Amino acid sequence: MKISLNWLKEYCNFSVSVNELAERMTMLGLEIESIEEPGKEIENVFVGKILDIQPHPQADKLVVCKTDIGKGEPLQIICGAKNMKVGDKVPTAIDGAILPGGFRITRRKMRGIESFGMMCSGAELKVEEDSEGLLILHPDAPLGEDIKKVLGLDDVIFEIEITPNRGDWASYIGLARELSAYYDIPITLPQIKFSEIEKTASSISSVTIDCPDFCPRYAGRVIQNVKIAPSPDWLARKLISAGQRPINNIVDITNFVLLETGHPLHAFDFDKLNENRIVVRLAKEGEQIRTLDGELRTLNTSQMVIADAIKPQALAGIMGGADSEVDDNTVNVFLESAYFDPVSIRRTARFHNLLTEAAQHFQRGADPEMVTWAIDRATSLIQELAGGKVLKGILDEYPKKIQRKNVKLRYERTKKRIGIEIDKDFQRTIILKLGFSVKEENEKEVDFIVPSWRHDVSLEEDLIEEIARFYGYDKIPNTLPKIRQSGAVFDTAFKKVNDIRTLLVHKGLTECYSWTFSNPEIMQQLNFPENYLNMVVLQNPLSKNLSTMRTSIIPDLLTTAQKNHLEDTISIFEIGPVFLPTEQNLLPDEPQKLGILLSGSANPRLWCYNDRKQFDFFDLKGIVEDILNELYIPYRVEKSDFPLFHPGQSMKITNQNEELGIVGKLNPKIAHELEINENTYISELNLNKILCVTPKKKIYKTISEFPSTSRDLAILVDRSLPVSEIFSSLKSVGEGMLQKIELFDVYTGEQVPHDKKSVALGFTFCSNEKTLTDNEIDSVMKEIISTLQKKFNAHIR
Amino acid sequence: MIKDLEQIKEFALQKIKEAESTDILEQIRVEFLGKKGKITEVLKKLGSLLPEERPKVGSIANEIKEIITNNIQKQYQIVLEKELQKKIEKEQIDITLPGRTYGNGHMHVINQVMNEITGIFIQMGFQVATGPEVETEYYNFESLNTPEDHPARDVHDTFYIKPGVVLRTHTSPVQMRVMEKTKPPVAVIVPGRVYRVDNDASHSPMFNQMEGLLVDEDVTFADLKGTLMYFVHKFFGEDTAVRFRPHYFPFTEPSAEMDISCTVCKGKGCRVCKHSGWLEILGCGMVHPKVFQYAGYDNEKYQGYAFGFGIDRMAMLKFAIPSINLLFDNNLKFLEQF
Repeated sequence: MKISLNWLKEYCNFSVSVNELAERMTMLGLEIESIEEPGKEIENVFVGKILDIQPHPQADKLVVCKTDIGKGEPLQIICGAKNMKVGDKVPTAIDGAILPGGFRITRRKMRGIESFGMMCSGAELKVEEDSEGLLILHPDAPLGEDIKKVLGLDDVIFEIEITPNRGDWASYIGLARELSAYYDIPITLPQIKFSEIEKTASSISSVTIDCPDFCPRYAGRVIQNVKIAPSPDWLARKLISAGQRPINNIVDITNFVLLETGHPLHAFDFDKLNENRIVVRLAKEGEQIRTLDGELRTLNTSQMVIADAIKPQALAGIMGGADSEVDDNTVNVFLESAYFDPVSIRRTARFHNLLTEAAQHFQRGADPEMVTWAIDRATSLIQELAGGKVLKGILDEYPKKIQRKNVKLRYERTKKRIGIEIDKDFQRTIILKLGFSVKEENEKEVDFIVPSWRHDVSLEEDLIEEIARFYGYDKIPNTLPKIRQSGAVFDTAFKKVNDIRTLLVHKGLTECYSWTFSNPEIMQQLNFPENYLNMVVLQNPLSKNLSTMRTSIIPDLLTTAQKNHLEDTISIFEIGPVFLPTEQNLLPDEPQKLGILLSGSANPRLWCYNDRKQFDFFDLKGIVEDILNELYIPYRVEKSDFPLFHPGQSMKITNQNEELGIVGKLNPKIAHELEINENTYISELNLNKILCVTPKKKIYKTISEFPSTSRDLAILVDRSLPVSEIFSSLKSVGEGMLQKIELFDVYTGEQVPHDKKSVALGFTFCSNEKTLTDNEIDSVMKEIISTLQKKFNAHIR
Repeated sequence: MIKDLEQIKEFALQKIKEAESTDILEQIRVEFLGKKGKITEVLKKLGSLLPEERPKVGSIANEIKEIITNNIQKQYQIVLEKELQKKIEKEQIDITLPGRTYGNGHMHVINQVMNEITGIFIQMGFQVATGPEVETEYYNFESLNTPEDHPARDVHDTFYIKPGVVLRTHTSPVQMRVMEKTKPPVAVIVPGRVYRVDNDASHSPMFNQMEGLLVDEDVTFADLKGTLMYFVHKFFGEDTAVRFRPHYFPFTEPSAEMDISCTVCKGKGCRVCKHSGWLEILGCGMVHPKVFQYAGYDNEKYQGYAFGFGIDRMAMLKFAIPSINLLFDNNLKFLEQF
């Protein structure tokens, strides 16, 4: 909301600096978005009157003017505009003047003739967006007057953000009320002065309310023989200062009174109302109205209209109808001032996506007791500015009286909530200054009656806030509370997940953070299995490719790999939720997943690394295993067939048949499609499942005092034999003497038959009881060899 | 024979003197003192001497043996010293060459900041709570005193999933989930993603918030101010000014917004703070009695405060990141800066 300081001072004449006022409003809860002083830079620009216009002898497009600025000789000014005539008053910048933006006007020669200043357009003074020609001033503008005064530029415009609970602030009187309470200066309301004729309004019109729950109060006045005309300068300037465009005197007055009182009014062309009467009712199903914005709107039975005897003439409290609009031919006016139910206005305004000024005021709750003052204020202005005869009496229907609430304040509760003792008298006085009155009171508590404009106050806490606000949040001390816990635990994963994050960072991976939106098309394109397409769908997505919530982090990692495809090395991970709808629950499951992607060079291009090894499957498997081992999670790995992966380089990690995650090489076909490095490896782990697995116990194992002995063995086995089977076949060999098996080489190539591979194993033997003899070790080695021969047809090399 | 020994001695000492490496000294030792060494050879012939000469020659031989041994030892020290010195000189490296590393990775800046902030609050005694991102309207709005027709819903620009289900617009619904689970005292912080239908240079449809909730018998607005001031001083530095302005949130009363002195201009006024010297960073207040009513807490007995702020904004301020969109763009050139 834009607030002009000059205008505000008409209601409450405080004398504080702009900065102090801005600070005070801020600390009362009125958020200042900006402060503008429109005329701040303008200097030496006055109201001038054009006395003479002659063609410029040397330039077709210029004229030579004589302009009187009320003092000294008239100035000779060269001008390029065409819209002025002799006798017009225009803003005139003299030699040495400054215009917005710091432009300095100086006397200079233009095509051989001297110009002693400049006549200005609206745009040059920044009062209009753009201008064609000079700004022609009102004929009454006083000659020689400072243009800032005439155009209202000696003002300060505050842009204020009003919180939704304080509809009452959204007006000049509302703001003045707040400031008058703070500064303890009385509020000055304008004089209402008009004359009524003998004939009563009720003799030619009537108001009927069919839906008192939606419209508790409706008041109308009839004014005849008005003269529609442009608004006078002062009124137009005020509307412009609020960012509005003047239309005609009647409409402008209703808008002005809205700004002044916060109470929306509407003027109908009385003669366009069938039977000249008003019926406030709910619309009939399918009934239509063309609103002032030209839209034909179809209504339903939950929407309130202001109708005449036959059809709707306004969407109640939101926008008038085109059929009864006040226009240049209007002679008689029906003026409306009402109190509408906020919820009904809000619903209808949202339904039609029509959150007009009026709707915004009504949905925050207007002041039901302002209804008659506002209508009389407008009537007074109409008679003053548009003439007309006011018919006697207000047609004031008030079937559902809005009762003032009362709220109790226990003085000692203020300290309990705020944390500081505030004097009882101070508490009481503040509330009274804000327009509350006392219903009952004693030493310990007061029962206050809430003013009709304060819809936000219904609890003791609301009163305490008022006291704290006026006391000053800055004067409330800063203390540290004692912090206690009930013993309940609300999250067990946060720290563990963060440990995993730290581990990965220390392993050289970089963490990504993606939007969690996705779409089914990308999942299909990437060949994800069917179950990943069961997604949480947004009803109002930002775009088609952000239309669902993700079911996997992998697409995000691939997008990141694509984006960064010029990098040598991509080693990234992301931790975050995926969203899996379930049959039985309203809300989806949201397991935390960890996605890892490795692509490109495994080592940096650095003097100490001779070759640039490319990442392979085992780089990624190693990282994943380190995570699981760090957490002491028991797991198994199996070949898998995840369709996104290379069929020969794809595995899953399981614990007791529960899949914990997958690791694989990106299928080269997909890599080609996405135009990313073919050597791309991806893993996705379900952290929720992993953190649910009971970790292996950490228990001390005796460290032997006796020396250990090592033996190496190289065997030839079938190329397709998984090495893990060799390991598991040797689990029970050696009666505890076999302490460790190392796999130190796997070889395929020229030295061995093409369907075989050489596997080199290192065995470490040790006992806790004695030093093992060669014989003992030999016999275990024999056992190992015969096991390998029997099970795998292994040849000893 | 004595003569022979003397000759051997002179010869040996000469050789020792000239020896330039420990290897040569070892050869000399073997040559003269070893099992088949020259001195030993002489001593073997001792048997051919007269018995009365034997002791004399023997003792001279031992004497010479000792002299040679001592000289070798002496020379050994000198040569060794020289050799080590040479080795040391040879082993000079350019210590400015970069170390051998694959490089550390980078935690996302949001999580770095999230960790720092949670650390501050955990140290004070809060614990972390989390909740679902797809949330019911009941928890996101209704139970927080924001019924369906409340104008405050307008500012939230909600993503809808299906009737009664939304993407949470703030981390506040976790307040209610926590209070439903336990009686007071409660002291939690809630970090997490939140969503609003908004996407431009300064808004992202997904962003991160941190919520705080403290409920106990004597929690006051002054405690709220003190807690947040402590946090700001820890996170932004002790010289950061803080101010609280009255504001409105449906779920707190009294409510406030907290500003800090601009981190760029230190309060003098610049483009970042729109020349006000202040940056708005946080909303807070005392828990509204209606919220307690939904939680089943006794408003006469218990009081609480709640606050919420944007983690992304904190990160942007702390690291002078100009646009929120950089945070979610996953450009490695950005991620690797932090």
